[in-house]
Amino acid sequence: MAKVIVVTSGKGGVGKTTTAANLGAGLALLGRKVCLIDADIGLRNLDVVLGLENRIVYDLTDVVEGNCRLRQALIKDKRTDNLFLLPAAQTKEKDAVSPEQMLKLTEELREECEYIFVDCPAGIESGFKNAIAGSDEAIIVTTPEIAAVRDADRIIGLLEAAGLYDPRLIINRIRPQMVRQGDMMGIDDIIEILAIELLGIVPDDEDIIVSTNRGEPVVLDRRSQAGQAYNNIVRRLEGIDVPLMTLEEDGWLTRVKKAIMGRS
Amino acid sequence: MLWLDPHAEFDDVFNQLQEKLAVSKDFWQGVTVVLKQTERECCPKEKAQLEKLMGEFGMALKEHVADNPSSRMKTTREVDRDYALIVRRTLRSGQRVHHEGSVVVLGDVNPGAEVVAGGDIVVLGTLRGIAHAGALGEETAVVMALKLLPTQLRIAHFISRAPDHQDAPEPQGPEIARIRNNLITIHSYGP
Ligand SMILES: Nc1ncnc2c1ncn2[C@@H]1O[C@H](COP(=O)(O)OP(=O)(O)O)[C@@H](O)[C@H]1O
Ligand SMILES: [Mg+2]
Repeated sequence: MAKVIVVTSGKGGVGKTTTAANLGAGLALLGRKVCLIDADIGLRNLDVVLGLENRIVYDLTDVVEGNCRLRQALIKDKRTDNLFLLPAAQTKEKDAVSPEQMLKLTEELREECEYIFVDCPAGIESGFKNAIAGSDEAIIVTTPEIAAVRDADRIIGLLEAAGLYDPRLIINRIRPQMVRQGDMMGIDDIIEILAIELLGIVPDDEDIIVSTNRGEPVVLDRRSQAGQAYNNIVRRLEGIDVPLMTLEEDGWLTRVKKAIMGRS
Repeated sequence: MLWLDPHAEFDDVFNQLQEKLAVSKDFWQGVTVVLKQTERECCPKEKAQLEKLMGEFGMALKEHVADNPSSRMKTTREVDRDYALIVRRTLRSGQRVHHEGSVVVLGDVNPGAEVVAGGDIVVLGTLRGIAHAGALGEETAVVMALKLLPTQLRIAHFISRAPDHQDAPEPQGPEIARIRNNLITIHSYGP
């Protein structure tokens, strides 16, 4: 059964697009057939992160408006055979796609792929509602900042109201050093408030910026820590039990472990 | 429930009611008011006046012809604190519960969430958001939580907020907040 997973956060700039790109590329590398939908209409950048910008002819809006067939709009990744992107229109309004259209689209894609990720726009307005319409699972991305966690909490409530239960959490841009010094919210503090399953943690890593600019998802780079982190998350999505990665500071790691164990 | 005192002038009752309502405006949103006419009947003009007032506060007026003439006469309804609403989930940021009686939350009240009750508030979890007990003026109302870390606490018209420095000690067990000497005070609660 194909899974449609929306990647969402409430707050902007926390790493939704980065996460969608890396989970998609990682799963494709494992042989899964994956489609990424860029639902951030008007602010698309999933194509840039994947280095596929120059291949766009049709977009999501063209498909729902019937200007082209779904297959025509899907862009095949240049590195892996089984990763596809349905790009967002850059020139349209956020609610150019209705929830019904989104649902129909994801149903059609279920026939083609095993995993479908929807890269959700920030905010809680129509763009968010349209993006989640066809999804049966949600991944919440947050950073260890109070405002981001607050927005994540709000999103979890809204997802529940829309019938999407038990979202899973990725905490992005962790800086072990800062957590250790007590200058950044710890993983256990975040889990205590949000009380949802932790799918993984991703360190703050320059490699992400470098890879984003190069259009190469960091998950393809085996030597990078962030790449490793995304790889672990990919395998957890596949049902493999992967322990949390060690990020030198062991005091920090034990706290993380405690947070995960305590809630599962 | 709204009882009309049979001996009072309608205009006095009306003005008094208006004042009471204005004190806690938001609280009344969506409330249905039952007009109980025991020994006092409203004429249609009075009824229309009441209806308009209720409308201004987002309430609906329903009529109820009395069955029990010995029922107490009240110009405003009395809050029944023993009548509690049970909330069986965690209230997340942006979610708000209000109830004219007491509220019991079986879960947490997260930062950005709000509970407003005419009576007491009991949180069987961590209270990090805003709680307003005795929202209709009941100063003996209390707020209790297994872990009391609110952003802001209100009881009747008293307000207190969390300390600005974040490293205040965490509570070691259940706590109760109530008004003592015109201040909201917090005590540990338990055997
Ligand atoms: N773990 C990380 N380490 C360093 N930079 C990151 C990390 N995650 C995201 N970024 C950077 O943060 C910015 C916002 O990320 P993006 O995925 O576009 O967020 P969103 O889609 O939620 O708006 C990008 O410039 C991205 O390269
Ligand atoms: Mg984005």
